[in-house]
Amino acid sequence: MVAREKLHHLKALFGPAILRADLPDDRNLFAYVEPSAVKAVCKYIFRDLDARYITSIGVDDRPYSGTFLVAHNFAFDKDKLLCSVLTNLPADNPKIDSITEAVPGANWAEREMKDMLGIEPIGHRYLKRLVLPDGWPDNLHPLRKDMSWDHVPEEFDENREFLFDDPPEGCMVVPFGPFHPTLDEPSHFRLYVEGEMVRGCEYRGFMVHRGIEKLAESVMSYNDINMMAERICGICGCVHSVAYTQSVEAAAAIKPTPRAEYMRTIMLEIERLHSHLLWVGLACHIVGFDTLFMQSFRIREPIMWIAEKITGNRKTYALCVIGGVRWDISPDMKAELRQVLDKLEAEWQPVVAVVSKDKNIQKRTRGVGVADKTVVKDAGLLGPVARAAGVDIDVRRDHPYAAYGHVDFNVITENGGDVWSRVLVRAKEVFESIKIIRQCLEKMEEGPLQTIITDELPVGRLGLSSVEAPRGESHHFVITGENNRPRRWRVRAPTYQNLQAVPTMIKDQQIADMTISLGSIDPCFSCTDRLETIDIKSGTTRVWSHEELLKFTRSKKA
Amino acid sequence: MDTTLTTILGSLANVILVLLIAPLCQGLLRKVTAFIQSRQGPPIWQAYYDLLKLLGKEDLESGDSPVMQRFAVYLSLATVLSVACLIPMGFKAPMTTAGDSILLIYLLTLSGICTLLGGLAAGSTYSLVGISRQMMIMIALEPLFAIAILVGAVHTKTFRLDTVLNGSVYEASGFPFSGLIMLGVMLLSFQAFVERVPFDTAEAETEIMEGPLMEYSGPKLAMFQYAGMVKLVIYSALFVAMFVPWGSELLLPFGWLLFWAKVFLLVLLVTVVAATHARYRIDQALRFFVSLLVVALAALGLASYGW
Repeated sequence: MVAREKLHHLKALFGPAILRADLPDDRNLFAYVEPSAVKAVCKYIFRDLDARYITSIGVDDRPYSGTFLVAHNFAFDKDKLLCSVLTNLPADNPKIDSITEAVPGANWAEREMKDMLGIEPIGHRYLKRLVLPDGWPDNLHPLRKDMSWDHVPEEFDENREFLFDDPPEGCMVVPFGPFHPTLDEPSHFRLYVEGEMVRGCEYRGFMVHRGIEKLAESVMSYNDINMMAERICGICGCVHSVAYTQSVEAAAAIKPTPRAEYMRTIMLEIERLHSHLLWVGLACHIVGFDTLFMQSFRIREPIMWIAEKITGNRKTYALCVIGGVRWDISPDMKAELRQVLDKLEAEWQPVVAVVSKDKNIQKRTRGVGVADKTVVKDAGLLGPVARAAGVDIDVRRDHPYAAYGHVDFNVITENGGDVWSRVLVRAKEVFESIKIIRQCLEKMEEGPLQTIITDELPVGRLGLSSVEAPRGESHHFVITGENNRPRRWRVRAPTYQNLQAVPTMIKDQQIADMTISLGSIDPCFSCTDRLETIDIKSGTTRVWSHEELLKFTRSKKA
Repeated sequence: MDTTLTTILGSLANVILVLLIAPLCQGLLRKVTAFIQSRQGPPIWQAYYDLLKLLGKEDLESGDSPVMQRFAVYLSLATVLSVACLIPMGFKAPMTTAGDSILLIYLLTLSGICTLLGGLAAGSTYSLVGISRQMMIMIALEPLFAIAILVGAVHTKTFRLDTVLNGSVYEASGFPFSGLIMLGVMLLSFQAFVERVPFDTAEAETEIMEGPLMEYSGPKLAMFQYAGMVKLVIYSALFVAMFVPWGSELLLPFGWLLFWAKVFLLVLLVTVVAATHARYRIDQALRFFVSLLVVALAALGLASYGW
């Protein structure tokens, strides 16, 4: 009983500050804590119990409990335990001690809480706007329940500009974004550059809010959200869909059928395969090695085809429903998938063999963009970035979900902590994914696809779910609610944590290394930016300026 | 025939030939690259189509100082074409008497300076980063070529172009060490002279978005690209003239064909190297050039002692 053991630790140390606790099973621990003790408890969990920080979540719980709720989530990877430290804050004065000092990785999550819910982290050193658009009024918080999902604030000031910090003395500002050919997604880094050396940077992102979380808790229903979750990301959609579904299942204590679990595992691994191959290609393109870029895309393509054959789509598989999956894999498809995997393995082996000996690529990637174990721990880095630094974490093994408990695979780690190690980790993980899919095809048995759910889902229950996306852990947090939809759904994509460490990785490196360092975390801005605002006003502004632009170009042509 | 007329006609012939062949080399390069990358690749004539398309586009001048931008483009193409008149291309160079090897060195440096001017005129941060890289590369790279010519001049005891550009690094006969060393040095740095991967650092699309060229579009971009393609041919021709001159004295069609075959082979070599390498960082590139420079200086020393 690991969960109980941890709870006893906390109770012994903090006594009455631990108000109550909920242990739904041995894999989850929800501890309700006195607001004044939150910082100390989190620090103890993070530093002394050596837990990994996941994320912090703010919830407007006023309609139900009359308070705001804040949850700091941690993972005990060795003990297969997810832990949430919750605290209720008074409705009229939602303030909480910032934990960023003790847990540096909480920086963004706390700023987001301030933006979206107006929960103020006291003692946070850098409370600059993170998520909301520049023109959004300061006192409006879109995730509060008293604000409707389609509210357009009158005070929206579309001309207000984002104020960037001043660059340090002697540095030139090199804008990297809002659009840059290496990223293909909007994000804005302002690099402070001295000669060719990057001395620091400021990040402004969150430019593609789609209001997904607010929509989910306002207008959608449990089984709609699967579909929307899948559209959070253009690469790891299935991950979000599975993670959301699992979090609801965890909250409502529903067990998906065994066949559904295998199906999820297979599709998640297919997704990892195409994501990793895509990444290797893009990374090579960034350092100007286009031949391998083309080759890895060629090798990747059959995976996309087989995915389309199985699901009807190259990606966005529309796989999950609460309690199961929507479609099955036929014996013919199984055979074909096996063939595709054999071919992939045969083609990928020589590539890995060549790349791992290539001096030229090593020259560009060794010792570049280093994030060592300390950075990984502090910033809460995930996935291949953490594994490349020798931190042996993998949600598939540490918090087994779907059918991962039934298959054997190795967690690949390297020790360099640099871009080169990340290349190796990803290149080798391809083989592990192939191994997993093969075992799943072998082991899965005939059976129903869905668990029959006869009753309404219980209300007010908390569910956590972590899924190992190609980029690291995707974490979903759900509070079930009325009207067949959750009260709160929070998505924490891996890039959300990994991106926060980019300034550390690129500091005192050359500009030329900036792109590959950033690329090496495999950033997924659509995942990170998924957030809550429905910014209709600035949406229309954008459309308008687009039309203006069209008009402008047409008039020039005429 | 009047020598002036021969010179003019010969120069024109060289210029037109180079202008005609340069996009073909580019097309070949792209096709072979595609082959290495398991792609179909564009048609071999694609470079011509691209140039025509760009030339037909609206001429936007968006940089800081359009006059300088314009000037840089024309100068860039003019410079490389002037060099074309000074090089033997299967037959005697048409303008050998117009200048000596020093002029050649200056003209080649000037073509690099045009890129600097173009980037400076654009005035954007990326192009500034690009030109600072270009400048560093030029400082480390240009001496290599100058030394190669000097080695030839030392061996033949003249700066005359027709002598220097005729395998001069090897003297009249035999293979002195200095010549062989310079051959190696030039082969190793050739990718940088023609600005291809792994030494396209100054343009690096995925880092600084084409650097100096970023504000160019339409016809001017076409000119710059054209100059780039011509540069590939010119440097290949120079290389052939200085290091693999054999066979050029054959009768007209054979010597000429042999010359261009050698140039195409060199283009193929450039392609293969470019397709199998990642781009070096500027500091790595510079370190590489500087070590080559040391070797080249040693070769010059050897040459002056008759080795």
